[in-house]
Amino acid sequence: MIKNREGQVNMEPLLRAVNLTKRFGGLVAVDDVSFDVRPGEVIGLVGDNGAGKSTFIKMISGVYQPDGGEIYFDGKKVSFIDPRDARDLGIETIYQDLALAENLDVGSNIFLGREMKKRFISEKLSRNIISLVFALPLSALLAWAGLQFYKLPGLALGLVFGLAFGVVLGWLFGSITQLVDRRTMMGESTKALKRLDIEIPSLTQQVRNLSGGQRQSVAIARSIYWNAKVMIMDEPTAALGVSEQRKVLTLVRTLAGQGVPVIIISHNMQDVFAVADRIVILRRGKKVGEQVAAETTPDKIVSLMVGAETVDKMGVIPKALDSNGDPAEA
Amino acid sequence: MTDKEPSTPPVSKKTRAEKLSTIRLIWPWFFLIAMVIVFAIISKTKNNVTFISYRSVQGILVYATQILLIGLAETIIIISGNGGIDLSVHYTLGFAAVISAFIMRAMYAAQLPPILTIAAGFSGGILLTIIPGWFNGMLVAKVKVPPFISTLGMGYVLYGVALLISRGQAIADQPNYLGQIGNGNLLYYWPKHGFSWFKIPTGATQMDLQHIIPLVPNIVAITLVVTILIWFILSKTQFGQHIYAIGGNIQASIRAGIPVASTLTRAYTLAAVLAGIAGVIWASRFTSGASNAGEPTLLFAVAAVVIGGTSMFGGEGRVIGTVIGALIIATIQYGLVILGQQPYWQYVTVGVVVIIAVIVDQLGRKMEHD
Repeated sequence: MIKNREGQVNMEPLLRAVNLTKRFGGLVAVDDVSFDVRPGEVIGLVGDNGAGKSTFIKMISGVYQPDGGEIYFDGKKVSFIDPRDARDLGIETIYQDLALAENLDVGSNIFLGREMKKRFISEKLSRNIISLVFALPLSALLAWAGLQFYKLPGLALGLVFGLAFGVVLGWLFGSITQLVDRRTMMGESTKALKRLDIEIPSLTQQVRNLSGGQRQSVAIARSIYWNAKVMIMDEPTAALGVSEQRKVLTLVRTLAGQGVPVIIISHNMQDVFAVADRIVILRRGKKVGEQVAAETTPDKIVSLMVGAETVDKMGVIPKALDSNGDPAEA
Repeated sequence: MTDKEPSTPPVSKKTRAEKLSTIRLIWPWFFLIAMVIVFAIISKTKNNVTFISYRSVQGILVYATQILLIGLAETIIIISGNGGIDLSVHYTLGFAAVISAFIMRAMYAAQLPPILTIAAGFSGGILLTIIPGWFNGMLVAKVKVPPFISTLGMGYVLYGVALLISRGQAIADQPNYLGQIGNGNLLYYWPKHGFSWFKIPTGATQMDLQHIIPLVPNIVAITLVVTILIWFILSKTQFGQHIYAIGGNIQASIRAGIPVASTLTRAYTLAAVLAGIAGVIWASRFTSGASNAGEPTLLFAVAAVVIGGTSMFGGEGRVIGTVIGALIIATIQYGLVILGQQPYWQYVTVGVVVIIAVIVDQLGRKMEHD
């Protein structure tokens, strides 16, 4: 029986990675790693630098194609050609740069590239109308002028040029009817933020004036608004102050409570233990452990990460590894 | 305490940031007003000329048209960011002036109807600028040549083509109506006789001319319409929104699925078309076409954009800012003429204003982030 912190139970994994392997030349970056993600749970993915966390994440978000192994989403086998495929399924990745346009306001960022429009005419229709409006008088004028100088060939040339210019002007000005509906975007953004209990004083201010945690929240709210089913977050708390960190972690739990599983990459043991239901430990491309957060300790995780047997107050004391590169049991 | 901490600072920071950005946006207006007052006082005391009059306003607006049209082109390109600048617009202006003058001269010589001659000349001049504009956009967006280089090259190509077509001379011998468009007014007011549209009231003698008040020069009206159109495109349409987004963060824009290449290509084409409009306006003002028609305008236009608060780093800027920037530069030019000073002072003065603008901008930004 697997329960998350909110007490929800779900046995069916939403995302399954089975025996994923990725090689770069002779280097095996990720070696035969498997794990399941169930709705509503938070998974901490930890490991030292170069342990293969990023490579693994990039395989399930479609940036890299695995050299071996399979990915199942919602019970069906999937393969991603590029990140858009993964995103179309609802696997959203938030990298540290957040991919926000800092010069725009919150609403514009949530709807970046997918702006809501006041639809009274489609872009294609308005393009055609504008083309026609320009093409008719222009081709008449140019055909007439051509006729005066070069007789029939001039007329034909004038017609062709007039039509061509009409089409080009349609392309250039056709989008003038596509108006951004800022009011609806603001309203939707307010709802999206409210659903996640995110507080931002003013949605009309530029994102650059927001704090790091607020920006993170905007990026998360955007993913959720666009139907993220699995969230992958790369070091979400790295650049934040203590109280901001806590807010983001609360937000991660809110997501889980709403049934969206979160895979969180972090170096910070405190953070991982604060949010994760399960912790997956990678070392040198291999999965060296998977532990239920409530039943383990940070020390144990760290020792698995670095392959050490014991950890004392002075720090980590590494110990010789066995033949698999696995640490001996503590 | 830790719970209160994050909620209070953003609020105060926001109001402070907004206050500062307001200062950044409105200082040019105060500067313009102060400048007009200074010019008024000097011209009254020194030359005994009244500076503040409708004639001055008209003169300034006419001076401002060319800077403003080219400035709008630069505004679009500079907002699109990523090193965006168009160094070809002033040569595009000359190119359009030459093309339209060339067409009109040929049709005038063939004694074709003047209205159609002018229509063909104007549309020919404006439409042919689409070609270099599109090339600029493709070079920047698809081939990824830095805008600085690609537009520089395109500028010289256009300058050369214009020189070849005009054989290095102004193309004169234009239809009579042409000058009326460029130098005429929408409306004339003749006290005690009433208003007259487009032309000097019939029945007015040479003696009456000094009493007739011309209102709204045609080219000012055209520029106003174009300015409103560009404001609309940049601030209301999805295309404009995408230009700002690309200027703010091109990587995020690509990841968000914005058609970056097509948006940039259209932006550069639009800039060239604006230069084309300025070109045919030049041709109608001076009833000729010359390859160097846009010569000093490029840097004045960029200066107007900078004074207007548009960030050279992209993503930020407003049409109204460029309007005020163009007005400031035009006022300097016109004021120096009224004061009877050497026109060369305009370069010194504009340079100083640009430096002030940059300092105000930098200080504002620095304080915002503290």
